[in-house]
Amino acid sequence: MIAQIGLSILLAGVLVYAWTEYRRAPVISILSMLVATAGLYFVWLPSHATRLATLVGIGRGVDLIIYVWVVISLILLLNLHLKLRSQSELITILMREIALANARAAEPSK
Amino acid sequence: MISKQHKNPNTGSIWIVVAAFNEATVLGPIVSDLMRRTYRVVVVDDGSSDATGQIALSAGATVITHPVNLGQGAALQTGIKFALQQGAAFVVTFDADGQHRPSDIARLIEALTDYDAAYALGSRFLGSSRGMPLGRRLLLQVAIWLTRVMTGLRLTDTHNGLRAMTRDGASRIFLRQNRMAHASELLEQIAASGLRHVEVPVTIDYTRYSLAKGQRLSDSLAILFDLSAQKLHR
Repeated sequence: MIAQIGLSILLAGVLVYAWTEYRRAPVISILSMLVATAGLYFVWLPSHATRLATLVGIGRGVDLIIYVWVVISLILLLNLHLKLRSQSELITILMREIALANARAAEPSK
Repeated sequence: MISKQHKNPNTGSIWIVVAAFNEATVLGPIVSDLMRRTYRVVVVDDGSSDATGQIALSAGATVITHPVNLGQGAALQTGIKFALQQGAAFVVTFDADGQHRPSDIARLIEALTDYDAAYALGSRFLGSSRGMPLGRRLLLQVAIWLTRVMTGLRLTDTHNGLRAMTRDGASRIFLRQNRMAHASELLEQIAASGLRHVEVPVTIDYTRYSLAKGQRLSDSLAILFDLSAQKLHR
């Protein structure tokens, strides 16, 4: 029971985070919301997880949930990567302005 | 060509954008050649560790220096922005490694006016290329096919650094891909602009120097990754 509550809080956190990311990266946001919702469902109905796990050829429901967590982590990792890309785009724009402000010409350029 | 530029005041100035990263050994004569043809030349020194900027400056170009190396896409965008700020009527991108011929520029500009196009793209497959290895040819064919699928543009050469744009065309380009994926990104933006483009035969001279600086298969995988990653965020 304690584990279920703890996991639920974490998954709810993921849900909220995914929702706040929607405007910036809609695809990532929707994916993580779907996965987190599935996670919440299985945390409270592990028997369904076991049934589904057997259906897709995984031994136990617990294993399935671990896999779901792995998937969430990977998606968040991708999201982090995308954030870094946005950051470097901003740095590029900043550097471009600095470079343009310091243009040098052998003769007056206009 | 030169007389045309002066005769018609509406054509204004033609700016050549050269993105250069550690090209000190070859850049000088290229810039001099361009200057002799009375083009305005801006060399974007992309954080070179050699004397690229100094050599371009003494050859007569305007030099913009990125504090650190950002990549060819970023450098071209910087140069295009500068040219537009200077009131360029036409913006031409020109590789710094000596594979392009300055004499081809006039034909690109003519094509823009003759066909009322916003973009004139150099094509080595319509023109001639000397010393192109088979591997390079195959790689370029794959890129041409992918471009057709992804942008709907039917081009014969998708990764040619020699292009000319009108002021209107250039102002619709904003390259976010700092590294090599900018060539594909540029084509996507040309397709999205809905403006007319033409392909113009140009000659590429493959030298050992330019081949060493060119793209390899692993680079093209990185380009595909960059392009897909950008689709996922703003």
